[in-house]
Amino acid sequence: MIKITFIAATGEAQTVEAKVGSTVMEAAVKNGVDGITAECGGACACATCRVYPDDSWRSKIDEASDMELGMLEFAEDAESCARLSCQIKVTEALDGLVVRLPKSQH
Amino acid sequence: MDDLEAVDWFFDPSVHQDPYPYYEYLRAKGPAVRLPKYNVVAVTDYDEALRVFRDDESYSFVKSGTGPFPPLPFTPEGDDITAQIEAHRQSVPGAALLMSMDAPRHPALRSLLMGIITPKRLKENEEFIVRFAKNQVDSAVSRGRFEAVKDLSHPMATLVIADLLGLPEGLHSQLLDMLPPPSSQVGGARRVASFNPLEELDAALSEFIVERRRSPQVDVLTNLAQAKFPDGSMPEIKDVVSLASFLFAAGQDTTVRLIALCLRILGDDQELQKRLRGDRGKIVAFVEEVLRFESPSKNGAFRLAKVRTQVGGVEIMPGDLVVPLIAAANRDPSRFDRPAEFSIDRPNHHDHLAFGRGAHTCLGGPLARAEARIALNCLFDRTSEIRISEAAHGPLEARRYEYWPGYTARSLKELYVEVTPA
Repeated sequence: MIKITFIAATGEAQTVEAKVGSTVMEAAVKNGVDGITAECGGACACATCRVYPDDSWRSKIDEASDMELGMLEFAEDAESCARLSCQIKVTEALDGLVVRLPKSQH
Repeated sequence: MDDLEAVDWFFDPSVHQDPYPYYEYLRAKGPAVRLPKYNVVAVTDYDEALRVFRDDESYSFVKSGTGPFPPLPFTPEGDDITAQIEAHRQSVPGAALLMSMDAPRHPALRSLLMGIITPKRLKENEEFIVRFAKNQVDSAVSRGRFEAVKDLSHPMATLVIADLLGLPEGLHSQLLDMLPPPSSQVGGARRVASFNPLEELDAALSEFIVERRRSPQVDVLTNLAQAKFPDGSMPEIKDVVSLASFLFAAGQDTTVRLIALCLRILGDDQELQKRLRGDRGKIVAFVEEVLRFESPSKNGAFRLAKVRTQVGGVEIMPGDLVVPLIAAANRDPSRFDRPAEFSIDRPNHHDHLAFGRGAHTCLGGPLARAEARIALNCLFDRTSEIRISEAAHGPLEARRYEYWPGYTARSLKELYVEVTPA
């Protein structure tokens, strides 16, 4: 298990345990993190699980696939660093990951 | 409220016509309530329903469609009935459908559908959906008076999904005949007696899939035919075929219901209709609020507890069925302010659970939303007024709307409307 911190738009932080091999979205959803909706359940089809990884973490996360980029484009999120948390695999290297959450997923 | 104590939610026709008083009766009893019969625990609380939707470990979906009917073909034994479920899966009617599958088969097959019905692809296909909508709307509007289910929403839903899949137009009416009839679900007695209710449709679609593996076209069936599992392996043709059938079937009745409900609400509220006509950007919010307020699927999949668990303080035993009452959770006052009021100005209209959540979330959500939005825009373009026929449905103060009997579907039998061409 590793630790991930989700920071809501309000500034409120929530640190959860995440299973290696699962996704950041799954960790959020399993721990009741409010700011992630994940309507499509991880199918890369709804863009309602968006997170903004902190600068120092971006390079440690695998690059987005074409499908994820397509969905992010569709979502028109103003933040250029936005990622879909259902596409971020939890690895040991991400222990301590910090991501910010959008004000709304819609 | 004593008379509601005796209600059998599965069979009672008055509850099928107007489910909402019964949902409030259940809500007053607690976040989750064990119904009087059939070992079913119904969840009305939004937060608990969400927890159930996201629970990946406690439940099997083998009885997702009809729930307690017919009863399990075995007697649950012990603290974990997972093995018993697998041993008997082939004897459960409807278990061949994607929505009734469990991990690992379910996520593997569902992964083949990823990227098939995404908002991005629908934007690319929007031209086709608009063309179908225009055709249906024009033909209906030219008559001045039409029955919205038969003349508009049903043909549109069929043609759109058939086109998205890449099925030739000449085949459409034949394919419709192969679907189980959409009518009554009373007491779970749908005409779904077999393990695979879509067998005939599978056979018809099979040759299309085989052909597309051989010579790819630019359509969704080709994407499906060529899709690989996450590990890079190629699925069997029969699995791809059953997915195609499932998409075709799933995209029918549900979308028809949504569009009809949108029209009913617009017909009943001329002020709202004028407002939307003048501000088309608000149609998205309107459709979300219809999904919340009159959820086309009143409940989510029936979840068969594999192990002991608890929901809303109710202890669940292996073999119990847990059902999220979507339409009730969508009116939970702890989540939605003045929930019994229809309002397109809610800040959180997207919070509704009409398409479910979690691993079995409706994949067709984006498509349903697009069809409803486009149908309404087309109608607004082609008409200056849409009214509910008083001859058929009575005056505004005393409307007569009839819904198909059934616990799951919120399905208008007919909706006669009158329109003034633009």
